[in-house]
Amino acid sequence: MNVMKNMIGAAATALVLGAGAAKAADLSYMSFTYAEEPNKAAVQATLDDFNKAEKLTVEPLGFAWGDMQKNIFLRARSKTLPDIAQLSERWLPTFAALDNLVDLNTVYGKDKLEAAFAPDALAMGNIGGKQLALPLISGSIGMVANKEVLAKAGIADAPKTIEDFKKVMVAVRDKVPNSVPYTMATKNNGSILIDFMVWNWVHGGRIIDDSGKVVIDSKESRDALGFMVSLMKDRLAAPEIDRPDSRRLLAQGASAFYLDAPQTRTFLRDFSGKGEAFDANVLPMPTPVLKSGDKSVSVQWGHLLVQFANGGKAKATDPADKFLTYITSDPVQTTYTLKMSALPVTKSARSAVANDAYLKNWSAATGDARRNEVGIWSNAADLTNIIGEEVQGALLGQKSADDAIKSMQTRLTTSMEKAKKSE
Amino acid sequence: MAVIENNPLAYPVSPKANRGGLKAGQNRIGLLMLLPAALAFAAVILYPFLSALGLSLFEYTVVMMEPRYIGLQNFAKIATDADVWAAFWTTAIYVALTTAGTLVAGLGWALIMNQPFAGRGVLRSLSLLPWVLPSTVSAFIWGWIFNSRYGVLNAFLMELGVIDFPQAWLSTPQGAMLAVVLTKVWLSIPLFMSFFLAGLQSLDKEQIDAARVDGAGNWAVLRDHILPHLRPVLIIVVVLGVIGNLQQFDTVYALTGGGPVRATTVLSVEVYRRAFEQWDIGFASAVGVLWVCSLLPPAFFYLRMLVKGN
Repeated sequence: MNVMKNMIGAAATALVLGAGAAKAADLSYMSFTYAEEPNKAAVQATLDDFNKAEKLTVEPLGFAWGDMQKNIFLRARSKTLPDIAQLSERWLPTFAALDNLVDLNTVYGKDKLEAAFAPDALAMGNIGGKQLALPLISGSIGMVANKEVLAKAGIADAPKTIEDFKKVMVAVRDKVPNSVPYTMATKNNGSILIDFMVWNWVHGGRIIDDSGKVVIDSKESRDALGFMVSLMKDRLAAPEIDRPDSRRLLAQGASAFYLDAPQTRTFLRDFSGKGEAFDANVLPMPTPVLKSGDKSVSVQWGHLLVQFANGGKAKATDPADKFLTYITSDPVQTTYTLKMSALPVTKSARSAVANDAYLKNWSAATGDARRNEVGIWSNAADLTNIIGEEVQGALLGQKSADDAIKSMQTRLTTSMEKAKKSE
Repeated sequence: MAVIENNPLAYPVSPKANRGGLKAGQNRIGLLMLLPAALAFAAVILYPFLSALGLSLFEYTVVMMEPRYIGLQNFAKIATDADVWAAFWTTAIYVALTTAGTLVAGLGWALIMNQPFAGRGVLRSLSLLPWVLPSTVSAFIWGWIFNSRYGVLNAFLMELGVIDFPQAWLSTPQGAMLAVVLTKVWLSIPLFMSFFLAGLQSLDKEQIDAARVDGAGNWAVLRDHILPHLRPVLIIVVVLGVIGNLQQFDTVYALTGGGPVRATTVLSVEVYRRAFEQWDIGFASAVGVLWVCSLLPPAFFYLRMLVKGN
């Protein structure tokens, strides 16, 4: 019996100590950037500086980008949500129903936020008039080229129309051995969605209109998917490519083009092994258009910060809110965002970095940055899977572009109807 | 000389001794010793299973933090969901191929390892390597082998002149299935080999020698002597293989993610995708319950064998 008592005593002590250790930090911050090796140091430096400035400690929780949504969902179920979490802008609608998500308008005041943040960046965190997230970094997903590869293929200027684009890709294919001219995403539904959405816009199509009606079954969307299939047939794109593969291939001089956010520069520096010396090869360029005179398109992109608190209530003096204030302050926004190769989110910080050549070029290449038309719906994950599967089926020759578009229309419509019923 | 008293009641006994005697005391100790395992079982197996069983009766998606009771509707939806049935079919193909492949490869390798040759001990030890490696690491190794741009397989086949240009193995339904099956077979060979090798150790060599004197060839020896001798091992290995392959998730997900399209979406991947990609926990739980049901016949067969002492 004594042994049993001792064991229970030891277990209780361990629990108390464990709980003490878990509460050692003033706030917890779940971040996917912290889990990315090239970017971890930049996040850690920000957390250390915050500790020096506010005498508050942050417990960083790093999870891979692909695991973030799952972790937040599971933590919501087990009531162990972090104080602050980093989200990709397209995930916010999925979590908007969580009852302990803080409306940051109630913490900082709507007017103050509007005065401080750039409207396009602030809008990414706004759903139904509630400011459910603050932007951390912003930009767009557009086309990036490797100048060195283009030079090897004898190309001096970035292509402007998709006709030119194809000609340049053929030159790269024929003159740069073992290259994939355009590392279009052909694997991972989330990545495939972005490439398809961009080419669909280029061809004048849409997936879902503003009212939630699925409108993919159109000539424009068929043309877009047909164009992507033709790239595969002509060996201008390749199977088994996800965004990380694209980054590596472009960094290694085995690819000329791919779609990514401005953060790509940081990845390319790391993956090329050349550091900042590789910057000279990175060319942000307007996405080629269908015909001369069309406006180039890109996808709005950004990282957001959400706050979780009991009952969704918080005040500006809480440690988590002090952290939000700090991380969106000018000193952080002008250094952290540059390390991330992304645009700051506040008006003052954007003015401060206006002369950064890379960001300037990126902004110039952005063209018409449109909101992710799938990511704004609560069933975005399901929609993404459907589009990814159908597009991949067409790209790999398992079905015709026509069949894939028809199937997409049916499946997406069912998903949207189901989501409306759930709400 | 001391006289032994025949009446046991005459001896002084502990007042606790009348609670059912020695056997009851042993039973109590036995139950107490079982308690930690029973608690662990309840915490990590029974509770999650009952929880999933309960959730299968609810509509529960990410947009609704409170589940809504809907009875058996999730199961009714499964009946008309072509993707779930496709996952059942894919699982059947995967289990059949991996179990058969491992059986043949494991037995073949055990027969080789049972022969006397120099370095046999080292090779036997090395044969356990796939078993030691974490399965996700193995999946990545095989992913590189099958990679269309850098893969060893393409390089090897091109060197032999079998193919003219690199093949995107993981981008075709057949190639992706082949990859996940080969990976699992490779991972399971050591376990199967160990079973068969243990069985072969108890084989009467004189019986084999006698058969050879009578003119039996290798095939006849295998068919008429070795396989009948290994029959109990074969049965148990097949049952364990089926159970293990029905549960397989990590290698498939790490290697193909269930793709291309849905070509390698086995039940475990389907449950994961429904739960953590489509956020439909209720439906995923219902599929999970059916998945567990598919595990029951082989598990029952295995337990029956254990109880019967086979």
